[in-house]
Amino acid sequence: MNIIETKKLTKYYGKSKGIVDVDLAIKEGEIFGFIGPNGAGKSTTIRTLLGLIHPTSGSATIFGKDITKFGPEIKQEIGYLPSEVFYYDDMRVIDLLKYSGSFYRKNPKVIAKRIKDLATYLDLDLKKKIDDLSYGNKKKVGIIQGLLHEPKLIILDEPTGGLDPLMQQRFFDLLRLENKKGATILFSSHILSEVQKLCDRVAIIKDGKIIRVDKMSSIAENTHKRFKLETAVQVDKSRFTGIKGISDLVITDKSVSFLFRGHINEITRIIASLNLTNILVEEPDLEEIFMHYYQTD
Amino acid sequence: MNIFFRELRAYRRSTLIWAICLSTLVVVFLSLFPAFTKDAQLAQKILANLPAVVKSALDVSLANLFSIYGFFAFLFTFTLVAGSVQAMNLGVGILSKEESGKTVDFLLSKPVSRSKVVTSKISAAFCLIFLTNIVFSSVALIMAKIVATSAFSSKTFLLISIILLFVQIFFLALGILLSVIIPKIKSAIAVTLPTVFTFFIIGMLGSLLGNDNVRYISPFKFFDPNYIINHNSYDMKFLIIEIIFVIIATIASYIIYINKDIRAVS
Repeated sequence: MNIIETKKLTKYYGKSKGIVDVDLAIKEGEIFGFIGPNGAGKSTTIRTLLGLIHPTSGSATIFGKDITKFGPEIKQEIGYLPSEVFYYDDMRVIDLLKYSGSFYRKNPKVIAKRIKDLATYLDLDLKKKIDDLSYGNKKKVGIIQGLLHEPKLIILDEPTGGLDPLMQQRFFDLLRLENKKGATILFSSHILSEVQKLCDRVAIIKDGKIIRVDKMSSIAENTHKRFKLETAVQVDKSRFTGIKGISDLVITDKSVSFLFRGHINEITRIIASLNLTNILVEEPDLEEIFMHYYQTD
Repeated sequence: MNIFFRELRAYRRSTLIWAICLSTLVVVFLSLFPAFTKDAQLAQKILANLPAVVKSALDVSLANLFSIYGFFAFLFTFTLVAGSVQAMNLGVGILSKEESGKTVDFLLSKPVSRSKVVTSKISAAFCLIFLTNIVFSSVALIMAKIVATSAFSSKTFLLISIILLFVQIFFLALGILLSVIIPKIKSAIAVTLPTVFTFFIIGMLGSLLGNDNVRYISPFKFFDPNYIINHNSYDMKFLIIEIIFVIIATIASYIIYINKDIRAVS
């Protein structure tokens, strides 16, 4: 079953474009990455799913239920952590978390225990006032309020800002654990290494449109190769023109570098005709693929 | 109920302060009554000689002024203005503070419908206003019993003091409506003060110019104490106007809030 399914989901803010015809299908138990730069439409998609903003057209279901009709019911099983967290400054951490827990149809005792466990794990003082917390500690409050009801779907919108590397690690471990217990995770980010670390599949969004949905592995491994050649003499650019699949071509004094996606034989034939001093072929990291997607305009 | 109780807690201190201030005001005013009535005849003479314009601006009804009702009603104007500020400030703030404090994402990503959020918050606000009125009316009535020189009807007195509740409910509803219409309210008081004083000045100008139609615009003039003293009841016409306004404003607030986009914090 698809946990999240959107059909031609579109949102315009007046005349300015938010997202256009977004089709996503996120399966149960997946950790699904959602990547794109700031302003591409990640938050708009997520906020629409959460009912914070209303779609202009198209539809979406979560747990098979329409988001506009069953908002509160769906949200019983969703945990949400935004990139920037704001809570009621006059409350203590424990009051805020209890307040948060009081919205869910779970046994308050179970929730109270869960709050305690998570706070211990993340090293957060429950007695402090929200106002006195550092940004990183506020983020921990955010993590706990998002997970205290053991949701079936966890939606994270660029969640790692403000967390130090150690906490980030613990947070990811926590997410993997929830995932193992059966939770589906939608993880939006513009930091590719963290998506690469965590996700099974990713969708790349650009200018409000989904431009690709694929397995993390096939995006990262099978599609592109990064070629770095060192040559005895400068290579003429014309040797590479007209070959399908070459991008990001940089030719300097005695080196050539490019991304290649296509028939490997075709490219090795050309390389064989060059006077090489060294050759390096590597899997590009997601960052490079990603940049490539954004540079094709 | 969790949002309802959360709001009661959040506002308990400010409501307590308002209740104490309004009560203190009425205690101080009413304690002047004995001194005022002692020289009633002289005062009456002076007031009778005031220019008609001044009299109508002050809404002085000479026949009633020297009764405890009239005296109370006269000074009550100031209580109404203060109470209106309390109610409207509460109305403007109770929904919009989630947006100005950026906590709205937290609240609305919880499993709760927007209509329930509005219902909880309106109920809490109404409850706080109601409590304020219980304190105010009780204090006013007890004080009146202490200072009154002759027997008076508690019913008539309370009918006057409960005007506060009606005027406050008007401004509460207006405040909530404005808070869902105006985008990005930074401070509730900046919306409240100009609105309350505009209505107050409209009402005062109306009395000054002898324009009765103004009564239909300014809630400060909906409930005329002199009418209550003479009829021992409210003027039904204005009660109905108030009720219709409150219902329409409340329904509109629900519709607007439910359909509103909650924009991302930036």
